[in-house]
Amino acid sequence: MIERWQARVRAMSLLAGLALLALALLGLQYGASTYVQRVAVDIGIMIILTVSLNLSNGYTGVFSLGHTGFMALGAYGSALLTMTPQVKALNLPDLPAWLAHVHLGFLPALVLVGLAAAAVALAVGYPILRLTGPYVAVATLGFLVIVHIVIINAQAYTRGARTFLGLAPLTNLWWVYGAVVVTIYTAWRIVNSPIGRAMLAVREDPVAARGAGVDILRARLWSFAVSAFFTAVAGALWAHFILAFSASSFWFAVTFEVIVMLIVGGLGSISGSVAATVALSILSEVLRNAERGVTLFGYHTPALYGLSQIVFALVFIAFIVYRPQGLFGDREFSLWPILARWYPPLREAVMAGRQLAE
Amino acid sequence: MVGAQNRESREGDHRRGLDDVTGMRKRSAARGRLAAAALLAAGVLLLTACGGGGGGQAGGAGGGSETGGGGDVIKIGADFNLTGSVSSLDVPAFRGAQLAAEEVNAKGGVLGKKIQLISYDGKSDPATVANITTQMIENDKVVAITGFTDTDSALAAGPIAQAAGIPFLTTGATSPKLPDQVGDFMFLVPFGDNVQAAAMAEFAYKELHAKTAYLLLNNGYEYTHLLAQYFKDRFTQLAGPNSILLEDTYEASDTDYSAQIAKFKALPQKPDFLFISAYPDEVGSVVKQFREAGVTLPILGGDGYDTPLLTQVAGEKADEVYFSTHSYMDPQNGTPAIKAFMEAYKKKYGDYPENAFAAMGYDSVNLLVDAIQRANSTDPKAIRDALAQTKGFQAISGEITYPEGKRVPQKAVTIIHVVKGKLTLAKQWVPEVVPAP
Repeated sequence: MIERWQARVRAMSLLAGLALLALALLGLQYGASTYVQRVAVDIGIMIILTVSLNLSNGYTGVFSLGHTGFMALGAYGSALLTMTPQVKALNLPDLPAWLAHVHLGFLPALVLVGLAAAAVALAVGYPILRLTGPYVAVATLGFLVIVHIVIINAQAYTRGARTFLGLAPLTNLWWVYGAVVVTIYTAWRIVNSPIGRAMLAVREDPVAARGAGVDILRARLWSFAVSAFFTAVAGALWAHFILAFSASSFWFAVTFEVIVMLIVGGLGSISGSVAATVALSILSEVLRNAERGVTLFGYHTPALYGLSQIVFALVFIAFIVYRPQGLFGDREFSLWPILARWYPPLREAVMAGRQLAE
Repeated sequence: MVGAQNRESREGDHRRGLDDVTGMRKRSAARGRLAAAALLAAGVLLLTACGGGGGGQAGGAGGGSETGGGGDVIKIGADFNLTGSVSSLDVPAFRGAQLAAEEVNAKGGVLGKKIQLISYDGKSDPATVANITTQMIENDKVVAITGFTDTDSALAAGPIAQAAGIPFLTTGATSPKLPDQVGDFMFLVPFGDNVQAAAMAEFAYKELHAKTAYLLLNNGYEYTHLLAQYFKDRFTQLAGPNSILLEDTYEASDTDYSAQIAKFKALPQKPDFLFISAYPDEVGSVVKQFREAGVTLPILGGDGYDTPLLTQVAGEKADEVYFSTHSYMDPQNGTPAIKAFMEAYKKKYGDYPENAFAAMGYDSVNLLVDAIQRANSTDPKAIRDALAQTKGFQAISGEITYPEGKRVPQKAVTIIHVVKGKLTLAKQWVPEVVPAP
């Protein structure tokens, strides 16, 4: 009885959340400047990157430094799929004929590059994911380096290390937040499924997990492939948003930016990832504007360019020192305790339900 | 009020209980590793923040609420990377732009209004560059934008200005393809790479009497690729198809060029000079490493060499380097306009301009003001049309004329020769034949 009631409330709050998001997006679309919309798109893409990285780094304990490689794959791959043959002939004259004539819509391109990245993740992960701890980090970093070198040398496909351009501006708020919803929902469903439980077990204690019959490599491969899928989708969205990028766009800077957001949010918390990404992105945007000098209470501060990066790094160090588990640790944001505080019957019902379950 | 709560509290308790018995040490070790990785990441972030060195001085004071054309100020975007890998070119350019704005305002402004520069830091990052360009157009309502000394940033910003119908006058991005890639609102202050590369090829062939060359390029940038390509086109035209003895590359992230140097030294026939298409970041160290390996031949390059880093890093090892740039910053022998500009710059910033990009920044703002004056309007479209009709504009970096239908000016190339760690003027060069963009 109580479970059914809870499930209904959950479904309703999910719908309410989606409706709120849609309202917020409508507000942004029609009420906000292009600049605010761009920041919102940026934040959405970062959310996808962080949540998907959380699946492998947070939930499964596979500390990957190579996800930026999947992002690059998504960016270049989707660009090659969505660009018109005319644009390709102009910018990539040496493209092989079969690829030069491909012209797909945005959605199939997103799905295709996601699947391609997942396949690469399986192939790469099969040998790499047998390693543990820092060895995984180093091996995945090696993967990123390989991707980087391949991009620079596959000149016919990527223009080498030069700026890649000629994409259509397909990414908008709706695409990005649609992908955000799909990413979060998928991550949430996986984490709360048997395979997700296996991932947690593998993170907590691989030996005990194996003892309990969990296939460690399989759990790791699953999380690596799924997170590669969404990372590539994020890369594709980013590419069709920025429109001009190069191999150096997918390098250490973005790698560490995502890891900072992940750790500040909490390894193993989807809502933590979302909260940290939103908070840090807004913070860095505010700081970037403050760098030019601001007038506070009649006092004008001097311009200090570079301030935002420094403060960003200091926030991160402070988190590591004082709150290493991040904002949310490995817990999730939940409405229940808030609802329960304001509506005692609900609290009692939940308590009763819990006792019943025990 | 944060409702963070353990949804599976029983499981969590159970897990914690297990930790007490077995996992404590393991967990703290894992945390130590995490902290180490985190500190590493923080270090990298700090490094990228500091990488640019000291940024510029205060930008055009904080944003007012007036719109660009209306009110009593005209807002012009000053779009520069004040930190990051190209800041050694962008910061002087930005300072030059600020100086020009101050001078224009001291003389009463334009169309009876003061001009205000709106600036943010692009951080040498395409995403930030795109954001700040949108911000200037949307929030600050600038009527025109000038900025950037590198093609990659100009490619990130240009299409946004183009879509918004705001003229974008790039201060130092030299790709002659830019106007065609971006559209009819994109203009260049400098000559194109095809012009400077052709000038260097002709200079090497005719003045240095060189018949063979070694070509090395940074694989990482549009600019270094184009410069090398145009140089090769023109030099092989002059000296014959086999005049480039070896063509080699290095990656943008490389700091050690010993592999390239070894290949160079293994050449059966020594070339007469080296053409190294390098990015400002590494110019000093490339030259230094070739010299330390005993290579004393002339080294030629493009305007990426015009950074204080060349002589700071390579010192007297930079001797016998020739590079093309936009103007020769000489306080003694320069034209009266150059001298006046240099003194004004020194008065404001305490030192002479670091490189020609300071003059380019100065020229950019003055050219925009001139266009606004000629348009007699602050309408972006009218400014664009006036810019397109620019004829014989007297700039510090040479006369600017946009040929009919083109948005890259025809200008003379200044060739600098490094002698005893000092920059001296070798030649002003107008190439006879310029490769097509």
